[in-house]
Amino acid sequence: MTIRILLPRRTAATAAAVTASLVLLGACGSTGDSKGNTATGDGKAGKTGVVLPFLTSPFWQAYNGYVPAKAKELGVSTLPTVNSNSDAAQQITDINNLLNQGVKGLVVAPIDSAAIAAGLDQAERKGVPVVAVDVAPDRGKVAMIVRADNRAYGTLACKYMGDKVKTGKVVQIMGDLSSINGRDRSEAFRDCMKQNYPSIQVLEIPTEWKAERAAAGLNTILNANPDLKGVYMQAGGVFLAPTLQQLKAKGLLHPVGDPKHITVVSNDGIPQELDAIRRGDIDATVSQPADDYAKYGLYYIKAAMEGKTFEPGPTDHNSTIIQHPDGNLEDQLAAPLVTKENVDDPTLWGNSLGR
Amino acid sequence: MTDISALAESPRSTQPTTFRGARTALLRRFRELALVPALVALVVLGGLVNDTFLTKANLISILGSSAALALVTLAASLILIGGKFDLSLESTVGIAPALGAMVVLPASAAGFGIELPSAVGLLIMLVAGAVIGAVNGFLVVKLQLNAFIVTLAMLIVLRGLQVGMTEGKTLFEMPESFFTLATSTFLEVPLSVWLAAAAFAIAGFVLRHHRVGRALYAIGGNPAAARTAGIRVDRVLMGVYIVGGALAALGGLVLTGYVGAISPNQGDGMIFTVFAAAVIGGISLDGGKGTMTGALTGVLLLGVVQNLLTLAQVKPFWIQAIYGGIILVSLMVSRLTSGKAQD
Repeated sequence: MTIRILLPRRTAATAAAVTASLVLLGACGSTGDSKGNTATGDGKAGKTGVVLPFLTSPFWQAYNGYVPAKAKELGVSTLPTVNSNSDAAQQITDINNLLNQGVKGLVVAPIDSAAIAAGLDQAERKGVPVVAVDVAPDRGKVAMIVRADNRAYGTLACKYMGDKVKTGKVVQIMGDLSSINGRDRSEAFRDCMKQNYPSIQVLEIPTEWKAERAAAGLNTILNANPDLKGVYMQAGGVFLAPTLQQLKAKGLLHPVGDPKHITVVSNDGIPQELDAIRRGDIDATVSQPADDYAKYGLYYIKAAMEGKTFEPGPTDHNSTIIQHPDGNLEDQLAAPLVTKENVDDPTLWGNSLGR
Repeated sequence: MTDISALAESPRSTQPTTFRGARTALLRRFRELALVPALVALVVLGGLVNDTFLTKANLISILGSSAALALVTLAASLILIGGKFDLSLESTVGIAPALGAMVVLPASAAGFGIELPSAVGLLIMLVAGAVIGAVNGFLVVKLQLNAFIVTLAMLIVLRGLQVGMTEGKTLFEMPESFFTLATSTFLEVPLSVWLAAAAFAIAGFVLRHHRVGRALYAIGGNPAAARTAGIRVDRVLMGVYIVGGALAALGGLVLTGYVGAISPNQGDGMIFTVFAAAVIGGISLDGGKGTMTGALTGVLLLGVVQNLLTLAQVKPFWIQAIYGGIILVSLMVSRLTSGKAQD
């Protein structure tokens, strides 16, 4: 009896389960299926989306300011910039949102070189070209990578400092080692010192791009090494103030030319760094061209939307396009070294920026 | 009064007459010093590893770099003892000094352009901290919202307000008075350190010997019972939130002087370190337990570890792992020395 009652029940349950899973299976899909769903022809055709990594550094803040101006100059129509706020996952969402708004091109400054791949894939499926600014993606197709060579920053800073210091101890205040740009600058500086200036000892302060870490680290280093000869700041926007503050507190802030002066080389080229060079507080900075980042990011996306392609080789704006092993092209913009001699050059973005 | 002290997990019972009472008091005393062996071990290790470590200049530099963390940890500890949370302290560390600076700075230096005297700016900074604390207190105490979630929301709101207000700009060119706390010294030690020490001493005294302090422990231990015992729970908690906000603002000012500028992400992520310092110092996340001495040893331990890692020039890729590892070991040492289960 019991069996006869149970059997049909079990069968019914199994059938229900099977049906349910079939329904579920039918509903299954992948985020890649959305091909062709692109919202088009709603009056937004031809718009470009611009995604920022974060807005909390003077550099990106300046870039953000240049975008609308350069867009107007180049005749590119952009949506208001989107800020991913240092969150790599948020950046993927931002890209999706922009794609759903029907943008025809994207200028993205990736937070993470690897994590951006998912966003690039989404754009590729919808046939929307992407220009990557500042960070070269590890994977995925982009129309162009616009950045200055961050390894060159480290090398440039190393050569300038090496020639000034010659022998002794220098410290590099490093960015976040989990970011490609932080890693590139650190490695290049370290390698170049080891190769070209073997009598210089390189000390290091890892900071995760945090000013208070830089201040505490430099303070400690100066206690242990009162004979320190040089400081390389990988981001002047973040590290300039804490470095000067600590040097001042220790009575070590002497102007350039004074025999007791500690050589300070910076990176970014924000207006405050240029002021510090004029005052003689620091020696030099590598000017990372915020204006050109914005300009050529938009220039290449416009070209890509028009279907133009580019070849490796020199460009008309004093830079070189190189080809990555994965086929992506990178326009390596020039990042000039700024010293007292050329600090007043009006073409430096730090000088043209309305503060 | 007797009711309160019976309820309260006060660090020193009023009248430990019985043997058991005395033993408990001793245990509590021990508990608040539980981290000291770990701290001593680290200092000895530091002295062995590096010649510079035990120099006066380096010890002062540890204190100087810990001052801001100490003030914010003090704020967090007080609120935790009351059985509540305030995660938004880290955003107050940024926005309060930024507001104070922006009313002083000219428009050309990213200020509001009203150029008030710096004394007014500093006052506005403190008031801003207190007001933020009051808003948090209102939401948590009066509206009875969940403290964790609501202060998490406040953390985001305040950070966003700061980024919006400054348009993402870093504030440079502050008047010297904004830096005084961190740059001026008394007996070779920065004023910020004296300030933090004084704040801890006052808080420790109030918690131990004042009615309000005992009431705070009672509330953290069991708010319903505290209310029954006639403690004005809401008022005390509101007060703690306001004091906490003002302390965080002060911590922000110290950090400003230490760094020399206010970046829009000043204090970002700091709350993790603050809670780590408080909890390894024996402040209970459940409320009602922990002492100021404990919290202070927590702060110092983290300061010493950070300093040692820089001095030893540990490979940068491994610093985080070692930093976390040392905190773990310290926790175990303090568990062993106190002999009591942590909570």
